[in-house]
Amino acid sequence: MKGAVIGIVGSASDGILEAGETLINAFAQEGYFATLCTHKGTQIRGGEVSCRIRVATTPVLNSGGALDLAVVLNWEDYSRLSGELIIGAETVVVYDKKTGLTAATLPLGGVKPAAAVAIPITEMAIHAGAPSQSKDCVVLGLLAAWLGLPQKKILESITARTRGKADPSPKVDQKAFASGIEFATRHPLGRDMALDRATATGGRRRVADGNEMCARAALFAGCKFFAGYPITPATEIMHYLQREIGKYGGSFLQAEDEIAAAAAAVGASYAGAKAMTATSGPGFSLQTEVLGLASAVELPLVCVNVQRGGPATGMPSTQEQADLFAATFSSPGDTVRPVLAPTSVADTFDVTVEAFNIAEHYQTPVIVLTDRDLAQCKAVLEPIEPSQFRIIDRMEPTKAELKKYARFQITEAGISPISHPGMRGGSYLAAGLEHDERGVPTSSGEVHAQMTRKRLSKLNPLKQRRDLFLFEGDPDAHIGLVSWGNVSGITREAVRIARASGIKVKLLVPRLLYPVAEAVYEDFFASLRRCVVVEQSHQGQLHRILKMWTNTPHEFMSVSKSGANRISPHEIVKLIQAMEQPATDRFRTHYCDLLNVI
Amino acid sequence: MISMDSGQRVGAKSCHCSAKDFGNELKPKWCAGCGDFGVMNALYRALAAVGRPPHEIAFVSGIGCSSRIPEYSTAYGFNSLHGRALPVAQGIKMARPDLLVLVAGGDGDGFSIGGGHVPHAIRRNPDITYLLLDNQVLGQSDGQVSPTAQRGARGPGDTYGSLEAPINPILYALAYGAHFVAQGIPGDLEGLAKIIEEAIRFPGFAFVNIQSPCVTFGEPDMQVLVQKTRMKKLKAEGHDPSDRLKAIELAQEGGKALYTGVFYRNPNPPPSYGSLIKGLQRKPALADSEAIA
Repeated sequence: MKGAVIGIVGSASDGILEAGETLINAFAQEGYFATLCTHKGTQIRGGEVSCRIRVATTPVLNSGGALDLAVVLNWEDYSRLSGELIIGAETVVVYDKKTGLTAATLPLGGVKPAAAVAIPITEMAIHAGAPSQSKDCVVLGLLAAWLGLPQKKILESITARTRGKADPSPKVDQKAFASGIEFATRHPLGRDMALDRATATGGRRRVADGNEMCARAALFAGCKFFAGYPITPATEIMHYLQREIGKYGGSFLQAEDEIAAAAAAVGASYAGAKAMTATSGPGFSLQTEVLGLASAVELPLVCVNVQRGGPATGMPSTQEQADLFAATFSSPGDTVRPVLAPTSVADTFDVTVEAFNIAEHYQTPVIVLTDRDLAQCKAVLEPIEPSQFRIIDRMEPTKAELKKYARFQITEAGISPISHPGMRGGSYLAAGLEHDERGVPTSSGEVHAQMTRKRLSKLNPLKQRRDLFLFEGDPDAHIGLVSWGNVSGITREAVRIARASGIKVKLLVPRLLYPVAEAVYEDFFASLRRCVVVEQSHQGQLHRILKMWTNTPHEFMSVSKSGANRISPHEIVKLIQAMEQPATDRFRTHYCDLLNVI
Repeated sequence: MISMDSGQRVGAKSCHCSAKDFGNELKPKWCAGCGDFGVMNALYRALAAVGRPPHEIAFVSGIGCSSRIPEYSTAYGFNSLHGRALPVAQGIKMARPDLLVLVAGGDGDGFSIGGGHVPHAIRRNPDITYLLLDNQVLGQSDGQVSPTAQRGARGPGDTYGSLEAPINPILYALAYGAHFVAQGIPGDLEGLAKIIEEAIRFPGFAFVNIQSPCVTFGEPDMQVLVQKTRMKKLKAEGHDPSDRLKAIELAQEGGKALYTGVFYRNPNPPPSYGSLIKGLQRKPALADSEAIA
């Protein structure tokens, strides 16, 4: 096989998360591309967990649709996470014999999988010496044999892991692993699951998730201050920087709340340091006032919002793309702040570096809208080439300018040099109150109009940044898709599949969501008769924003699902096929049926 | 390049500034008779005595009448958001430990909307001086009662008077473990200047409650001249500022007796937040590009 989607589900104590880590690391070392997404049913440790691994010999654009192989240790746990791990007619299901079910009685809601095989997983683990801890080693043995993975790498990984006080001896794990291999060798699956050899070795590739890439990018861009408050699914950014930032001469603050975190970051920026905060929806709503302040006092600030299901506490561990309105519109007053969205785990690095560059150059808060699936799913990544990046620092006043310094001087580009404390002659008042060029608070309507124009027009050049958009497909196609964030990986694959079948279609993926780059969209729309924005929010937020700012094609539709409901590449291929149909009504009905949207 | 060396602990003067070097040409917008004029003057005297030049000072405030002070100063000023002066100031101090960082704001700013930040600033103990200009009213928004107003105090739309008990800022700061807690009044300009100077020199978070009366909405017995007759200097009362329990006892008379001077100064101040962080930073720092190696 060229690739496979594998799901493993069970209880938290079954070691499933470790099994996923072991597999993706082994895949990376062997030169495969892969993603690993884990899910926990509850925030509390001890509930149901799953991991979904997609592996392929070519780069993996998303975590895939229905499973090729499902490993179920417990059917109750499966039923709670079945939305993430879809078993379809093509899926081979293996499950623990201990569950006592027969192939005919599996709780699959009428779906008949390609095969369902009961395997004495618990029994083999007990036989090896330690039931609960070693089930995952049995599973790894089964998978290593069926997929044709090098056993040495996996064995090394198993031997190296530590599991706390209840740790069975490595020998027990090794024995469990060996019994899995032996069983799988004696019982080949009905469907050959052996992976094709990867074309190259892993080399310098690394395994990381989006949160790690975001934090690394911050350090790379020169971030010297981070403040945050723990929140799922953004916490790992904070953990990484808490551990690392001091090594680069920076400092870290775990603040008392998200308001304080953002306010401290603005303070650090005022003092001259590149600063960042990271949060998710509930924290982002608190940070709104500070983002408004950063806009008013024209200070660089990077604010990462790892989106999760909302509103309010919502669904902390799930994927959604519904904070675009909040990111775009949530400040009072006449203001614009750039909103960027990475399109993959790897791209999270690039976009975060760019966020710092834009923040520093334009003296503005920049919001990085990532999402749960990008942030917490791991991927095998190519090494980063530092020389590909440009690092921009804020413009500082020259000695001559400091002699007659006006911090908010009206300039042609709207950008005026920033002094910081310690610079003689650079003293100024940074005021959230409207202020004149020297920073003195004012209630003059004329000055307010002038300053508002300065703050808004300085961002106009961003709208010409075509490099902040990804394009794929046939430039003169009549049908096209727009999508952003994690979902763009799904639409990209779908467009490739559709084009391979002879359909002419194109895709535009904005990494700059706001301000809306009207010209870029209108160029893309020019050849289109029909365009669909595919995203993961009930309202189709990008679709609505594009309707506000751009001249959209005649048929401009939204296909969107609320978070926590997977969109698969296969569904989007069907959507593209439907878009080719001539009759509008049929198209409309079709896509509504397809994705259950109204 | 950002220097991480010297702290706020100021020894020798690095400039020979006088009080007037810290004020700019703007005319303060306060009402005639407002206590904040005196506080500003006392602060500038204290800064002249400390001797750091204005451009090495970051002066942060929130929103309210007293939060306008940085506007009238030649220091770097940050008139931030209502209630958020302390977090902003901590960010500045962490990014630039060499700066002298001051925070000023009112009782509404500090103990109403910003109340959640005060205990955390105290327990982190950054080397910052916090001047709370307490007038028991929300003056800028027409004199509503503030969290430090006595029960029964009346705001503009208030028929019955406040039904709530006041916060006692001195007791609050002591209870959360502040290592330097003092009180002053603008009527005693010289005394207040000395207190502020001592607070700035203290190596850690220093809290100074200043009874700075509101001439428009404030109580008659809190006005500048009356305060002067009511004030009892702690030093003259024989208070030992290293005695924290005694300080707490005296602080409980808040709202009745008007003590001025240092309630508590930890004779063995613990390391400030900044010095603890400095110990965690690797020197020489790694190049940023190593982050991706």
